[in-house]
Amino acid sequence: MFIEGRELVFKHNIPVTKVEKYWKGLEEGKIYGTVCKSCGAKYSPPQADCSECYSSDMDWVEITGEGVVEAMMEQYTFPAGFEFLKEPYVVAVARFGDFRVVGWAREKVWVGDRVVAETDKDETGVWKVYFKKV
Amino acid sequence: MRVGVIGVGCTKFGVLERTIQELAFEAVREAVEDAGISKNDIDISVVGTSNTRGYELMPAVPVNEYCGFAGKGPIRVEAACATGSAAFYTAYSSIVSGMADIAIAIGVEKMTEVNTPTSLAVGGRSGSYLWEFHQYGTTFPGYYAMHASAHMAEFGTKPEQLAMVAVKNHRNAAKNPKAHFPKEITLEKAVSSRYVAYPLKLFDCCPISDGASAAVLASEEKIKELGKEAVWVEGIGFSSDTANVAKRGSYTGLKATVEASRMAYKMAGIEDPLKSFDLACLHDCFTIAEIMAYEDLGFCKKGEGGKFVEEGRSDFGGDIPCNTFGGLKAKGHPLGATGLAMVYEAVKQLREEAGELQVELKNYKALTHNIGGTGHFGWVFVLGL
Repeated sequence: MFIEGRELVFKHNIPVTKVEKYWKGLEEGKIYGTVCKSCGAKYSPPQADCSECYSSDMDWVEITGEGVVEAMMEQYTFPAGFEFLKEPYVVAVARFGDFRVVGWAREKVWVGDRVVAETDKDETGVWKVYFKKV
Repeated sequence: MRVGVIGVGCTKFGVLERTIQELAFEAVREAVEDAGISKNDIDISVVGTSNTRGYELMPAVPVNEYCGFAGKGPIRVEAACATGSAAFYTAYSSIVSGMADIAIAIGVEKMTEVNTPTSLAVGGRSGSYLWEFHQYGTTFPGYYAMHASAHMAEFGTKPEQLAMVAVKNHRNAAKNPKAHFPKEITLEKAVSSRYVAYPLKLFDCCPISDGASAAVLASEEKIKELGKEAVWVEGIGFSSDTANVAKRGSYTGLKATVEASRMAYKMAGIEDPLKSFDLACLHDCFTIAEIMAYEDLGFCKKGEGGKFVEEGRSDFGGDIPCNTFGGLKAKGHPLGATGLAMVYEAVKQLREEAGELQVELKNYKALTHNIGGTGHFGWVFVLGL
């Protein structure tokens, strides 16, 4: 026998103030990482504070050019929050020089494929990176 | 100071119509009875539960009350899928510190109180939510699928080799009445199953299970005083890795496994892991995870994990029987319970109480390998007589 619990909905307000440049950048077609001015540590996704030397003095650098896919997956079972999708979706991690970037692939990619990155928003208005094969 | 395990308990894993405290109670009662002590002899309780799916959001106290430990702890511990091992370590540490003579580690998880899409969305948050799940809908099978893609691309690991892990572990689970799926599967069935997260298929994935397990630990002095036999904690190793998948070193293995095993081997004086253990309990939440574990734990060279299972080296009669009770894959994977279910399996085997699944004992040592998330946490224990 089961009893239905009372509903509890979490819809978080996520503070992105310190990495606002990244989120604004996506809307302008740009993907940013950060580089610590003090020790040179590189961060993608970006962070405003350096985990290595504890400095908070960071350079924002644009990640551009061609990347190489290092890992991928194609998701067939949809998690809650992604019911709006009609087809399996491909997530890849690609290396662009010193930075790795996660993105949705517009088409199926495999490890070693060369890709370029662009930005767009999905049906729920969330901006993100999309990869296209070169 | 030496610390030993004097009692273990484990529920059946599966979709279980019990509350989290009722489930924990079953494992605790078995462990306390197995130890041959009174529950009142226990100085401190550690409740390990990830509990990101169950209705009881702060379950340590309800669990502690129901098990009759009110006033003794609880310390709540969380390390995703490695929560049980973190609980074991916490109980171990409380004894080594001198704060307790006898401690109990309880691992429990209710996974089935929510539906599968919710469960996937919770598991998909095991990395770094804002940069991964929020944008890309990454899931737990999806993360391991990424590792599988890298392993297959670099080393030519085949889908059939992944499936062989599932076939082996299901064969073992078929003889374990506590397993979620106590039934054999064929290689053909595994290989032809539908994709969950390409390149991983349904039979590459562990089920979503409820379950609980527990272990009673005591100091050597107390064990002597009680006149008990114990399985000794000979080695403990722990490590971790980045939350963000983009910040990992490599996708063909788990650094947390490598580092945790080095630490545990050093403490236990293990030089050749392949020849040192009578069995290993590996974290096979997905088939690729067991293949990477063979390599990262030093049973074979990097890239040869697929061949290792194909040649039967991880099966009964092989170099090192792995997941003799069915592994996470077929026995089930209730997050908080898993690490302590490995301790349960190791203890049962070392005491020669494993029935049909008994391994041949030569070294009288067992290894447990418990991973949280996708290598976000790594724990390795060496247990021995």
